[in-house]
Amino acid sequence: MTDNKFSKLSKNYKLSISNPKFFDAVKMLISILIALAITFVILCLVSSDPINAIVTILTGPLTKTRYIGSVIESFIPYAFAGLAAGVLFKAGAFNLGAEGIYILSGAVVTAVAISPVTTSPILHPILCFVAAMAFGGIMMILPSFLKAKFGTNEMVVSLMLNSIYAGIAAYVVRTFLGTLKRGGNSSKDYLATARIGYLYEPLRISACFLVLIAVTVILYLVMKKSRLGYQIRLAGTNPRFAEYSGVSAFKLAISTAAIAGVLSGMGAASALLTQTQFYTPSQSLVGIGFSGMLLSMLGRNNPIGIVVASFMIKYLEQGTKILYFVDKSVPSEIVAIVEGIIIMLISSQYFLRRFRERKLLKEGLEEHVE
Amino acid sequence: MWSNILTTLFSMRFLLTIIRMATPILFAALGAFTAASTGIGNIAIESIMTFSALGGVLGSYLLNNAWLGLLIGLLIGILTALLITFFSMKLGADAFLIMIALNTFADSVAIFLLYQITGDKGTTASLPTPILYTWDIPLIKDIPILGEILSGHYVLTYICWLLIIVMFVVIYKTPLGMRMRACGLNPDAARTAGINVERLQVLSLVLSGVFAAFGGCYLSLNYLKIFSKGMVSGQGWMGVAANGIANGNYLSLVLSAVIFAVFRAVSIIFSSNSAFPTDLVSAIPYFSVFVILTAVSIINYYRVKSGKVEEH
Amino acid sequence: MNEIILKLDNVTKVYPNGTVANRDINMEFEKGEIHSVVGENGAGKSTLMKMIFGIERPSSGTITYKGEEVHFNSSMDAIHAGIGMVHQHFMLIPSYSIVDNIILGDEPTKSIFIDAKEATKRCQELSDKYNFELDVTAKVSTLSVAKRQKVEILKTLYRNAELIILDEPTSVLTPQETEKLFDQLRFFKQQGHTIIFISHKLEEVKQISDRISVIRNGVSKGTYLNADLSMEQLTNLIIGRDLENDMDEYKTHEDFHGERALEVRDLYMERNGKPVLNNVSFEVKRGEILGVAGVEGNGQQELVKCITGLEATKYEGLIKVCDQEVNHLNIRGRRDIGMAYIPEDRMVDGVAGELPISDNLISTYYTREDINGKLFMDNKAIARMSDQLIKTFAVKTKNADASVNSLSGGNVQKVVVAREYNTNSRFMIAEQPTHGIDIGSAEFVHHKLIEMRNAGAGILLVSADLNEVMDLSDRIIVMFNGRIAGYFPDANKVNESELGMYMLGAKHQSEEEIGGALND
Repeated sequence: MTDNKFSKLSKNYKLSISNPKFFDAVKMLISILIALAITFVILCLVSSDPINAIVTILTGPLTKTRYIGSVIESFIPYAFAGLAAGVLFKAGAFNLGAEGIYILSGAVVTAVAISPVTTSPILHPILCFVAAMAFGGIMMILPSFLKAKFGTNEMVVSLMLNSIYAGIAAYVVRTFLGTLKRGGNSSKDYLATARIGYLYEPLRISACFLVLIAVTVILYLVMKKSRLGYQIRLAGTNPRFAEYSGVSAFKLAISTAAIAGVLSGMGAASALLTQTQFYTPSQSLVGIGFSGMLLSMLGRNNPIGIVVASFMIKYLEQGTKILYFVDKSVPSEIVAIVEGIIIMLISSQYFLRRFRERKLLKEGLEEHVE
Repeated sequence: MWSNILTTLFSMRFLLTIIRMATPILFAALGAFTAASTGIGNIAIESIMTFSALGGVLGSYLLNNAWLGLLIGLLIGILTALLITFFSMKLGADAFLIMIALNTFADSVAIFLLYQITGDKGTTASLPTPILYTWDIPLIKDIPILGEILSGHYVLTYICWLLIIVMFVVIYKTPLGMRMRACGLNPDAARTAGINVERLQVLSLVLSGVFAAFGGCYLSLNYLKIFSKGMVSGQGWMGVAANGIANGNYLSLVLSAVIFAVFRAVSIIFSSNSAFPTDLVSAIPYFSVFVILTAVSIINYYRVKSGKVEEH
Repeated sequence: MNEIILKLDNVTKVYPNGTVANRDINMEFEKGEIHSVVGENGAGKSTLMKMIFGIERPSSGTITYKGEEVHFNSSMDAIHAGIGMVHQHFMLIPSYSIVDNIILGDEPTKSIFIDAKEATKRCQELSDKYNFELDVTAKVSTLSVAKRQKVEILKTLYRNAELIILDEPTSVLTPQETEKLFDQLRFFKQQGHTIIFISHKLEEVKQISDRISVIRNGVSKGTYLNADLSMEQLTNLIIGRDLENDMDEYKTHEDFHGERALEVRDLYMERNGKPVLNNVSFEVKRGEILGVAGVEGNGQQELVKCITGLEATKYEGLIKVCDQEVNHLNIRGRRDIGMAYIPEDRMVDGVAGELPISDNLISTYYTREDINGKLFMDNKAIARMSDQLIKTFAVKTKNADASVNSLSGGNVQKVVVAREYNTNSRFMIAEQPTHGIDIGSAEFVHHKLIEMRNAGAGILLVSADLNEVMDLSDRIIVMFNGRIAGYFPDANKVNESELGMYMLGAKHQSEEEIGGALND
């Protein structure tokens, strides 16, 4: 399955141009514009006032502080999921297990958060985080290990594990952590010490936000400057070259999976400890891990890009939510369409190629006549 | 309690449940297999099933005819497959990424469309939709036991088994099938024999989309009779897994798909018994896929290592 | 004179990256002859054949087949015109039966089904007609290499090929099998087929050909009647050795006290139950280049695999790098002791094409102190070093941030050599170091290898290019059938025809003489 002729067509295509980064930026911008244009067309079809609709989506969240606050609070777990997916994709792994790890670490966070392990309101959330991170890190390794050691199809395995973990989490919460309140499938309320408060209430900025920023910066530095990041680059672009250079593909598969798992654990903890204060496995964290993969593609596997993309998508979602108050014809799922179009366009290597080639040809003619 | 369960496991009802459960997984497996025969990993089966399941119901509602609805569902399967080839072959995107993206936002797109038409984000239950029914085979239905096993299934179940036989013949007995398999086994050899490899790959992906679409329509037009959010629930992936286990062997493809269906049926029987935790029981089918897939790969690993099988 | 079936007029092929593979080739092939096209590896034989068979299109010039100018767009067109080709790497599907392989793409049918009976009958008849002695219902995976080749030939006959191109067909055959193949080729000739025989084994060419065309450096050196040409004349035409190329004048001879860079003792390895390396022992001292000559596929690749440890390969025997036993070490461990390695397939193993040049210049020593800070890698130091290497190795690029994919083949190889050079290793394996790159870059690479040798590295040079081996090496071993067939302690005292005899298995030294490779 990995040796796909489709992708082969695009692999070796690259030309020496003066500034490929600039070209990428232009391509991204045009992709976003096209996606918004298509969105507008859809809005014209479904909404009675499409102009107001698109304006509301794009500017709505700016109209009230609490809207922006809501974006800031809700985008954090998604950004963590995006970072997790980014690490795996960058290393060339197709482990799609973040979804299951989120849901399972949710149970771990909950177990710690409802237990009086400490009375310190600082230590308690930290313990929740650490438990989720450790647990997520270990559990995420399974599909990557099976792939690296036995060649098991990691994509299918990780997806099956997602469903299995969801079952386990639901069972654990119902049986050991639950309460009969809320229909029996939610956990007890978290202890007050486990909650993470806001540092700046109006914008809902909590310690989680700071943690995310710190993690993003660290991850960016690790990817860009560290030896581990260098190894990931090698293995992700040409695994045989990595082996030739003396980088162990096996160790790398395990360590990147562990990092992704730790990040997923952080995401789960940050979502539960700030937003809901209790856990419903069938609802609370569902879909975040999957969204992370899309966000990673949007951010081109770059940590900062991923965080920006997460913010942008959550911003648009908030916009559609606001729109939904006034115009019930547009559900927030329209964001998925925007997202999908942008992703497909920016991952297309030949998109805008002609434009680029014409430019290149001119440059080439001017520079060297061979 | 156990005797109860044992009786159920050996009852006619259980057998019929398996047949019902097997249909969508078989469709999905057939789709994955057809694409894989030319060397394409179609991992978008799950999302194609979702799109077609919805498309089938909406088509049936709008055209007021279940068969036309099915046709719409199949068309959507073809269009999705063409969308993938367009982006990967014409625009040079990584087909895997495109397919992962499709899978990931399939549910949201489906819900968006669903909401536009029904005003509901969950199901099409409110739509008066003509559906496909079951089919009693004349004469055979009157034979005791055999009649019960063979007759009275959903129409698409019969089509499914028919397609399994047809595709077996096409893939193994016709020039087209021989060329398709050649593309998957050694594209260079196929090319030097004058075969247009890329064209056959597109064809196989489109066929794959049609089969996945059948699977989706079975769920929404035949089995559950409505579209509801998350209804495909990994059955497409089970087809992909069955194809991974089969590794080019048609019989083991069908067998693994049926085995997965058995576990789905088991999970349904156990979940109706309150003595078992539903949450865990519902994970049984996925667990079975995980265990079987992993076991097969470990066995293969040691067979290659001990030199019994040559690595390619 | 006989009827001309195929005629090439001023055929030139220039690849997009500027490599000229063929220049103004003029050749005529007569109906019913066995016509050899000879030349060294990389002389341009394969490209020429690809153009005849429609895989590549000429940049200029015309191909005339049966009196008509032809412009094949794909091999399908060539097949329809009656041209068949047996590729050096077989184009077969192992899990298919012989019949299925033969009929693929042109299947006899009965309504919509493959007519298996008819297909088997036709193939069996064809096989019997040409005395191929094949059971055509057998699976290809169960066949020996020689039989697989027969299947390839049957494929062309099934499609009624009148002109059959065989690309290095004997490179995979034993002498006995080669004899049989030649009998068959003569039979084809009687039946009126025209055979184009591509080879660089001169003995065989002399044995089978009616006429011989020589290609050197992409240029035709004429067509001759076999009878008019002596072995010496042919060799000179092919090699046209330019004595000025000799690198001896650049070599210095410092004393490294006989220190060993590599020691290989009694190396033995088997694949599918057959030995591919047998009783191989030799050493490479510091400050010398040991050349390994041989026809491809005689164990050189396996030898390199064992020494580098790149893939976990099972072998028996002892390998020491810089006097340390490395049998239990993987490639990282061996590199740490002091091994550098220029791999054969640079795009697959040697670089990550999508990454910048700077990333590719450090991959094998990215943990080294001078390019690392306390916590992170020192990107400034890396940039400085990359610029320096790009300058020293004359890599044609705008800057170190450009991706390796933007470079030409020769410049990619310079990146690989620059990186391995920069490891300052005492031991270096250079595997086909100039394969498929332009002459300028090749010369540059040669000079750098000599420079490393002079500085005290021991270099194991594995190359199918005999000129390269003879120009660079101090000592030479010749591999044949997984064994060392000959050892030459002074590369200057041996000529190519002598080496050729050992490469082709016509001569074999005694154990004692070969033993010198280890104990000199």
